[in-house]
Amino acid sequence: MKKFFTILICKLLRFAGKLIGKGSSKPGQVALKLCPDILSRVQLPKYIIAVTGSNGKTSTVEMIAHILTKNGKTVAWNREGSNQIEGVTTLVLDSATLGGRVKADILLIESDERFARYTFRYIHPTHYVITNLYRDQLTRNGHPEWVYDALLDSITDGTQLILNADDPLVSSFAQGRKDVVWFGADKLSSDTEELQSVYNDGAYCPICKAPMTYTTHHYNHIGHYACTKCGYKRQNTRYTITSVDLDKGEMTIDGKHTITLALKSLYNIYNILSAYTVASIVGIDGAQIAADMNNYVLKNGRVITFELGSRRGTLLTSKHENSISYDQSIRVASAYKEGCDVLIIVDAVSRKYFTSDVSWLYDIDFEMLNSDNVRQIVLAGTYVNDLVTRFSYTDIPSERIKSFEDIGEAVDHLNSDRSEYIYAITCFSDKGKFLAKVREV
Amino acid sequence: MKLLHLYHDIMNLYGDYANVSAMRRILEKSGAQVSVDRISPGENADFADYDFIYIGSGTERNQRVVLEDLRKYADALKSAVDSGTVVLMTGNSFEMLGKTLTDAKGNTVNGLGFFDFTVTEQNKTRVTGDVIYTCDFLTQPLVGFVNKCSEIKGISEPLFRVTMGPGDFDGSREEGVRMRELFGTHLTGPVLIKNPHLLTYLAEKILGKAPADDWLVSERAGYQITLRELKRRNEGA
Repeated sequence: MKKFFTILICKLLRFAGKLIGKGSSKPGQVALKLCPDILSRVQLPKYIIAVTGSNGKTSTVEMIAHILTKNGKTVAWNREGSNQIEGVTTLVLDSATLGGRVKADILLIESDERFARYTFRYIHPTHYVITNLYRDQLTRNGHPEWVYDALLDSITDGTQLILNADDPLVSSFAQGRKDVVWFGADKLSSDTEELQSVYNDGAYCPICKAPMTYTTHHYNHIGHYACTKCGYKRQNTRYTITSVDLDKGEMTIDGKHTITLALKSLYNIYNILSAYTVASIVGIDGAQIAADMNNYVLKNGRVITFELGSRRGTLLTSKHENSISYDQSIRVASAYKEGCDVLIIVDAVSRKYFTSDVSWLYDIDFEMLNSDNVRQIVLAGTYVNDLVTRFSYTDIPSERIKSFEDIGEAVDHLNSDRSEYIYAITCFSDKGKFLAKVREV
Repeated sequence: MKLLHLYHDIMNLYGDYANVSAMRRILEKSGAQVSVDRISPGENADFADYDFIYIGSGTERNQRVVLEDLRKYADALKSAVDSGTVVLMTGNSFEMLGKTLTDAKGNTVNGLGFFDFTVTEQNKTRVTGDVIYTCDFLTQPLVGFVNKCSEIKGISEPLFRVTMGPGDFDGSREEGVRMRELFGTHLTGPVLIKNPHLLTYLAEKILGKAPADDWLVSERAGYQITLRELKRRNEGA
């Protein structure tokens, strides 16, 4: 009876919340108060697929849901990205009958890294994808090894781990486990022999801390590594990006499935590969997955094209306090051969909590913007002085940099008769302030 | 002038490397010829050669690796400190100078023993926070961020007083250590860029004269804004 009422109340709150545009964590929060073990009282589907990691969770989950739905599966998933235990509880109960049976072939959960241990105490995933562990929101997360330890607590027996072989810390979750599937990329034409990053989180072995060597870097410390001492190394992959051509906007998986990319970034190809891996494991044919991913445009609003006067541009939502996210966006801008101006805004470091910490700016490889493809760099926001200082430690000539504390003034400056394409790079916390001043197209 | 960036690759968790970039810049702007040596675990350095020695912050596991390597330098580091060399240790690096370090599982190792303090880590809650600190040797407060999982007990002469944010342990209003011109603080990241007055203070000790400081324009403006934001937060909370 308690189960029945808890589910009913959760559904009612969810229904009411949707009407008034409230988020999806509150109903689950109430349900957990009423019945703390409600998640272990429901009947779950055969497939419970969890996705976690620093970057790419939301995009990967959206892609998996897209492929599975296209192929006739019913999928319950947290599409709003409420990825702590409350949001997951809302998802599960809202997808369940009043008797407690989840009405879906597949339960697909995006999970926050630090809170996965609470969520998966009750719900044991059958398949658990870990995309990557980067320096991400360190003012809350501490550091990648701290997150690793928290995630380790969330892995239960009977779960198949699906790991990014190219991330040395993520791949080490396989230590002492048998049921592991690896995905990753072969040596790619866009790879570099030398590390392209301000810092090196792959310098030392995550197992024994001896120095590691790389035969190739896909980006930052993601690549093919081997420890010089203990034998720890990058594993062979079952699902593999065999080639990529970012100029043409194509990737090939397993040497036979070529996918046209709507977004030409290395991030995107990893997200597609992890979605491909999950869908394959669920039993969808590879050619079909490739067709479903062809030219797929994410709906989560992280890449937005806009017009500003006579100019056009793209907003690349990047995460503040996440240098690899910024590096990816900067790489996209600096590869724009027709020539672009770049706007960077740091106004509120986070939308969810307060911090004034800008240490993470020093982990971003802004030097990449010292390229003939990048013409003018515009810096803006409350922390513009910190941006100016950070750029003074690059070799970018200062006359190419303009700075404005006020975002409106920065946008006015860009609203000129210049013909260069505009790349705006900023975070969820600040992108609304920019979008309010341009026309989305 | 010679600068030593010890463990530049393994103790560089929060952009700490930029402290050495900033020190190099102010010394060069003041007319000095500057070289920087970057040393990793397993390599060797002669501490007598240097005008400035820096170690940044690392993960708990990396700090233990580095501590074992640092033991070979214990006497040389102590001599450098005794002779007045300017040494800056930020984040958890200065923890290595205490009596003991105990990890979250209860394993204890000895520190270098320069100080009598003890360090105890836990693995449940990360201790993080924006901070405002003050001290007697600077007229303006320091701003920054602390990111650690340890508490430190037994510091007799603290470096800073805490106005806002975490101190040595839960509820502590003191932070960091000092011995001659060695400064140890849990502040993380580019402390010397966020606090241009600390940079000029240390540079003056190294140079023996006032450094060139008129170029610190965006640094000073950034400091004022951060201090304003932190004060607003502190008074509102």
